[in-house]
Amino acid sequence: MKYILLMSGTKAGTEHYHAWSQKDIQAHMDVLHKINKDLTDSGEFVATQGLSGPSEAKVVRGEKNGVPVTDGIFPESKEFLLGYWIVDVANADRAYAIAARIASAPGPGGVPTNMPIEVRRFASYEPQK
Amino acid sequence: MKYILMMNTMRAGHDVPSWKQKDLQAHIAFMMNLNRDLQKAGEFVSAEGLSFPDQARQVRAGKDGMPITDGIFPESKEFLAGFWIVDVDSPERAYAIAARISAAPGPDGAPLNMPIEVRPVMSAPPADML
Repeated sequence: MKYILLMSGTKAGTEHYHAWSQKDIQAHMDVLHKINKDLTDSGEFVATQGLSGPSEAKVVRGEKNGVPVTDGIFPESKEFLLGYWIVDVANADRAYAIAARIASAPGPGGVPTNMPIEVRRFASYEPQK
Repeated sequence: MKYILMMNTMRAGHDVPSWKQKDLQAHIAFMMNLNRDLQKAGEFVSAEGLSFPDQARQVRAGKDGMPITDGIFPESKEFLAGFWIVDVDSPERAYAIAARISAAPGPDGAPLNMPIEVRPVMSAPPADML
């Protein structure tokens, strides 16, 4: 079963992340790389990606004529996706265990960020022919 | 440049299963046609739909590293319903694709006019962080 592990934060939260020291960022990245390596070794890794910051985000709708209408204004409370992992695991508990490991990645001063990770299963819903 | 196109909805927006079969089929045909066009243009990277919010869990690690799961979310929370990753020449092209997705047909074929969040996907971390 495929699950996506979503790491989200508010705009204020992502700006806070940019203020981390080089050493703290490196320690954080080292742990995430180790997680990716372990998931690759166990055959559970599908994909991971980090996203650019909220300043580059746009919300798009289509006009009646199909022309895109873009807007870069979001509510302050909006959660932005920072990055995600897609894993292919035997059960939901295994997905939760991986999410817990990601949540324990170190932040400033090596203290775990304890970021909440949203875990969602990929839909297997298919319309009847 | 890679972009992610995210379709977010409130919990209440997850009412797709109540659509008529005909409306669902038209919606899915539209999406499959879009994916085919993106594949032909060499812009398709991936696309996925997610299961419904009732199956979503928020996970943190306990002191011992064990997962603590919670299924309670604020009513106002936006849930990711699905996403596309496209590899395109410009942000304008990503916005054009998002506009097409936004206009996907809903009940009785009326365009849903869903807001689609468009974000550049980061390249690999700088070498000195690996």
